[in-house]
Amino acid sequence: MNHKENTELSQNISEEFSQDMSRKKKKQARAALSFIVMAVLLVGLFFAAVNIGSLKVSFSELLRGLFVERIDNVATIWDLRFPRIIISMLAGAAIAVSGVLFQAVLKNPLADPGIIGISSGASFVAVLITAFAPTLFFFTPLFAFLGGVLAFFLVYSLSWKGGLSPLRIILVGVAVNAMFTGLSSALNSMSGGNMSGVASIVNGNITMKTWDDVQTLVPYVVVGLVLALVFCGTCNLLSLEDKTARSLGVNVNTMRIVISLIAVLLASISTAVAGAISFLGLIVPHIGRILVGSDHRALIPFSMLFGAFTFLLADTIGRTIAAPYEVPASIIMSVVGGPFFIILLRRSKKYAN
Amino acid sequence: MQINENAKPAMEVRGLSFAYGKNKVLKDVSLKIEEGKITTIMGANGCGKSTLFSLMTKNLYARKGKIFLRGKNIQNLNLKEFAKQVSIVQQYNTSSDDITVERLVAFGRTPHRKPMQGKSEEDERLVEWAMEVTGILEYRDREVSRLSGGQRQRVWIAMALAQNTKILFLDEPTTYLDIRYQIEILELVRKLNNEFGITIIMVLHDINQAIYFSHQVIGLKDGLVEFQGSPEEVIDRQSIHSLYGIELDVTQIDGKKFVLTV
Repeated sequence: MNHKENTELSQNISEEFSQDMSRKKKKQARAALSFIVMAVLLVGLFFAAVNIGSLKVSFSELLRGLFVERIDNVATIWDLRFPRIIISMLAGAAIAVSGVLFQAVLKNPLADPGIIGISSGASFVAVLITAFAPTLFFFTPLFAFLGGVLAFFLVYSLSWKGGLSPLRIILVGVAVNAMFTGLSSALNSMSGGNMSGVASIVNGNITMKTWDDVQTLVPYVVVGLVLALVFCGTCNLLSLEDKTARSLGVNVNTMRIVISLIAVLLASISTAVAGAISFLGLIVPHIGRILVGSDHRALIPFSMLFGAFTFLLADTIGRTIAAPYEVPASIIMSVVGGPFFIILLRRSKKYAN
Repeated sequence: MQINENAKPAMEVRGLSFAYGKNKVLKDVSLKIEEGKITTIMGANGCGKSTLFSLMTKNLYARKGKIFLRGKNIQNLNLKEFAKQVSIVQQYNTSSDDITVERLVAFGRTPHRKPMQGKSEEDERLVEWAMEVTGILEYRDREVSRLSGGQRQRVWIAMALAQNTKILFLDEPTTYLDIRYQIEILELVRKLNNEFGITIIMVLHDINQAIYFSHQVIGLKDGLVEFQGSPEEVIDRQSIHSLYGIELDVTQIDGKKFVLTV
């Protein structure tokens, strides 16, 4: 190779190198911007949601009512709207992160705690407890968790056939989901369909939530989300082939079980309080990957923000769209999420056949 | 790197047997992997070489027989301890679409990291070194999914190098590559052995590549070791016939054995 060719080659290389650099910088900038915009949107939506409804307070009134003096309107809003807003945000964050974790563990971008039956398993057991052992009501989240574990165990073991085919997981999950949803509905009908606790779990109704429900939800969700953050590096390693991850000293099977349990915890707890929510755990991580990339160290925190935002938005739309009647947020999610899921299925080459 | 003649073997396999159900794949295999040498396992399809590879890299577990890493039974080492001493480039690899070369190579530091700890200076130095040795520094910020097959294989080797081990396993590292990249990868493997004294154990399909690039070859047939030694000693018309069941001429070019594979 002569000298001229050599310099040309190195010029080419440095040009490509700087192209790569600028691509990387652009991506980083987009991710940072996405975080900022999402945080601002969430705060904005929060204050909007506080103010949407028959009672209205100005921003300064709200601040004064919360921190300085008692204002009747603000006190009412504090008791009625704040719990559902906080529950919406916590449940949204939990379900979205649960989706991210399931997708990492199952190596399947279509895995969603709603679609694969985790939420309905959790809600069925929660319904059982509410209907037959109301004295154990306080432990509902724990039983919901057991229900979620049961559903996950069913899906995992039934779709295992010398390996996990992404499509088989979805199909088995749909069947498990249908079964548990059916069982819950049957139970609801048999009990006359008017047990408010049962109905609220089945329909994902968060109208009548109080600060007690917030208290039930907070510790579990916080623990689950913190654990998710602790394991985000491991989620990245699970994107490698199992053998390769093992060669890096990662005990893949153990990690799968641990991360699955975190995901089931997050999905079940939010189901126990806010009802079964479908598609949220699918839509949020998918858009999140486009905006901040598939590095879980960014994707998981972003999904928390975005999940909180999306579910609060669904809830807020649900209670304004046909006021004074309310459409449950989970129903809004299903209506929007269904078509989204179909688009994903059609666009994805891997799962089309 | 000086090689001590009396050194213990880097790895040793003693009386290893393995079966999938009733199908016996390995029957009493014993062998030694010399420190600082390139050893290639060869044999026909179904001879048990993949199984042997999996057993030696802790991806399978044998009920009969033992495998020693510098005198220690690898059964008594957990995956992390093993990964600090042995790195492995698997035959088939996938990664997420948008991961960059540098981040993927940095995964190689995983066994040396403590939980909840950031990158150390040594981590950064070794990642840099691994990318430099494999000639992928200029792609460091590019997504792995946008690289060619040959470049990608270098990235996986760099990830294994970042583990900073003295033993490197490669499972058919040239399988999905054009001939040019096959040679490039094998030259790289030789360089790793020459310059850094890394003990190499690999599985290769191509007989001549195995002969040309290895200090020691191990021929497996029906779950038994057919031959073991330097290619000059053990490769001839007869041993090739017993290994692959086909008569091929063996000649010598520049003192190296060469099997006429057509």
